Amino acid sequence: MANERVRVRGLSIFRPIIYGNTATLLTREERENVPAEHTHKWTVAVRSAAPAPGSDIVGGADNLGYFLKRVSFKLHDTYPNPTRNIDKPPFEVSETGWGEFEVTIKLHFIPESGEKALTIYHHLKLHPWSLSGEPDSIPPLEVAQKAGPVHSWQYDEIVFNDPYQNFLNVLTNNPPTPLPRASTNGRTIPFHIANPASLEASKGGVPEFTTLIVKDESERLEKAKKTIIAEQEKTRAALIAKEKELEQLQKMLNG
Amino acid sequence: MASAADVRSILSLPAASSPAAGPSHQPKKQSTVSTRKPEGISRELYSLIGSSAPALAAQLAKPRLKQKPNLGGGGKVKWEWRSFKNGARSDSLELGHWVKATDKPNADYQFAKYNVQPTVYEWSQDEYSRHLEDSEWTKEETDYLFKIAHEYDLRWYIIHDRYEYPNGPTREIEDLKDRYYSVCRKLVRNRTWAGDEASKSQLLLSFQYDKEKEILRRKYVASLANRTPEQIQEEEALYIEIKRLEQNERQFKRDRENLLRTIAGVDSGLPDIVEDDATLIVADPKKKKLKGMDLDIPQTPVLTAPVMKRPPTLNKNAVYDATHCIIRNDPPPTTPATKVAHTPAYLRSFKIPYPKAAIAHKVNALLTEIGVSHSRLVMPTQANCQHLESVIDAATNLVELKKVLDKVNQDVEVLKNRLEFREDGGDGGSVADAIETDDRGETAEPEGESRRSQSVMSARSTRSRKHSRRSMSVSSVDTAVPTSTRTGIKRQKRM
Repeated sequence: MANERVRVRGLSIFRPIIYGNTATLLTREERENVPAEHTHKWTVAVRSAAPAPGSDIVGGADNLGYFLKRVSFKLHDTYPNPTRNIDKPPFEVSETGWGEFEVTIKLHFIPESGEKALTIYHHLKLHPWSLSGEPDSIPPLEVAQKAGPVHSWQYDEIVFNDPYQNFLNVLTNNPPTPLPRASTNGRTIPFHIANPASLEASKGGVPEFTTLIVKDESERLEKAKKTIIAEQEKTRAALIAKEKELEQLQKMLNG
Repeated sequence: MASAADVRSILSLPAASSPAAGPSHQPKKQSTVSTRKPEGISRELYSLIGSSAPALAAQLAKPRLKQKPNLGGGGKVKWEWRSFKNGARSDSLELGHWVKATDKPNADYQFAKYNVQPTVYEWSQDEYSRHLEDSEWTKEETDYLFKIAHEYDLRWYIIHDRYEYPNGPTREIEDLKDRYYSVCRKLVRNRTWAGDEASKSQLLLSFQYDKEKEILRRKYVASLANRTPEQIQEEEALYIEIKRLEQNERQFKRDRENLLRTIAGVDSGLPDIVEDDATLIVADPKKKKLKGMDLDIPQTPVLTAPVMKRPPTLNKNAVYDATHCIIRNDPPPTTPATKVAHTPAYLRSFKIPYPKAAIAHKVNALLTEIGVSHSRLVMPTQANCQHLESVIDAATNLVELKKVLDKVNQDVEVLKNRLEFREDGGDGGSVADAIETDDRGETAEPEGESRRSQSVMSARSTRSRKHSRRSMSVSSVDTAVPTSTRTGIKRQKRM
């Protein structure tokens, strides 16, 4: 009994998740059954980061119900019942629409965790990605149709600090599927704003999060750091030289 | 009747030959019949073994004495006198030496690689005032110390001998070393470090220097070397006594345990007599003498407290942690008596640090130039978040460095102008000229050292702000920075 409400100090445990949406253009037949303005059908979801084998969706290998009690998606006010509460997995909402807006996602954890709800935001992406050089260029229908479904997913990790012992037990009884080492066949890397170079590689195919992406990013960061440090060294050397010059001038002035 | 043949055989006579020749033939024949014994074994052995013995071969081998090593100098080597250059020298002195004719003619001097120099540390004024201030050392004296240290290759005895700072206090060798190493430590700690934490901490370790301990240690060594022979003898006698006492102690303890066991059946839990025999006996006597001070202490038996039972540790298997995504930090040092506030669950990307407000804009611009997003990561894992943090740190440092550099450049310009004024006599005409050229300078982008336009900046403060922005971009072009990284920022400022 005393075990339950004791926090395990000095330990934090995290779970990798992805959240985001997939959107496709409605075909002519589909458009007949929905309000006239709607052009896309989309699904916004919170899933586990590792991809489910043999499935078409992004991620979703593990059932997150073991620590998520409920996920609520707050859609745009123009939708009827904009607050959609999903109490059991799969935690996703599928709808049709015409515009991009921000979805507020609230994650409610199981009572054993003793944690308050966590709020995350996701910008619903309907139109295909393009680099920021050409803003507001929504490609015409045919181009968009050819490009296929639009994916916008963000990997993240929920970190629990000093969890309660019984919550820790729940978590350890459900270890997450590890991310695949490199892309399995038929999958691409997900596009991300922070890595504009990945735009080409992400076209076509279902995106998938792999440890390769993680490594790639850490290498990019290392390289950036080295560039900055090299720059620092140069600046510092210039600074020291200039200070010497300053001293000399001061001497000349005063002497 | 004995026939002739019988007679002959009795007398061992050959057929119809003279009796005189008979006996003399026989021995000759017999001697030719016997084969010669082979060399290497005795005659008797041979007649025993016979000719087929394989052991003969071993016997026949000549005894092998220790061989002289074959140095491969079978053929004759030709040596020639060649002159060579030493890569480690700064002048181009050419000396000569004997070299095998077969050696490559222009190989580097093989001893040049041993010319290792310690890394030289230089610092800016700003760095000095921020990290390196010390009450006992002025900046000039510190500079002087570093110059001398570099010149004499960090050989402290020589440095101490040649150290002569005018009007400075007398510095012991420990003072010099202390100041040098503490400055190096502070620089390494406070500058951004390329590479991982492990190499940084190793470098820091190499700069460890504890002044008090060093002074004490050198006093000990000096006193050790200055012992009189009587003292040495006394110490040795003491040491032998100690060993004897230790042996007695161990014996006593063993006997007592045996006794107790026979009487009481089990160890009765009396307090143990501690023997530090591991430390005393194992180390050889010479080493023990160095620790002269410590010998007294372990003699008195000490009550050992029962060993504290370690709190049950969680399964510290690294693989286990990785599969369950568990991260262990050190538990906070404060006990839970003070209610530790619980950090709620969070998303890792929420904790990405944001640069300080004042220069945030510049830092972010710098990061975008490099190609790193300042707020979002593709995969915010623990490691990547730390990487991003250090990148942001480095960028912040760089921005601050550039700021200081610009300031110094400005000062240099100001001084140059003042000098010029002094030389010109500081008449009003030159000021008027300066104003004119300034107008022209405004419209035509001043790329070079248009000092006139900048002297106006110092004189007319109302326009100084605009000018300072201009001068920032100008001086940025002046500094030895590849223009590609700066043009982006310049463009931004124009907009």
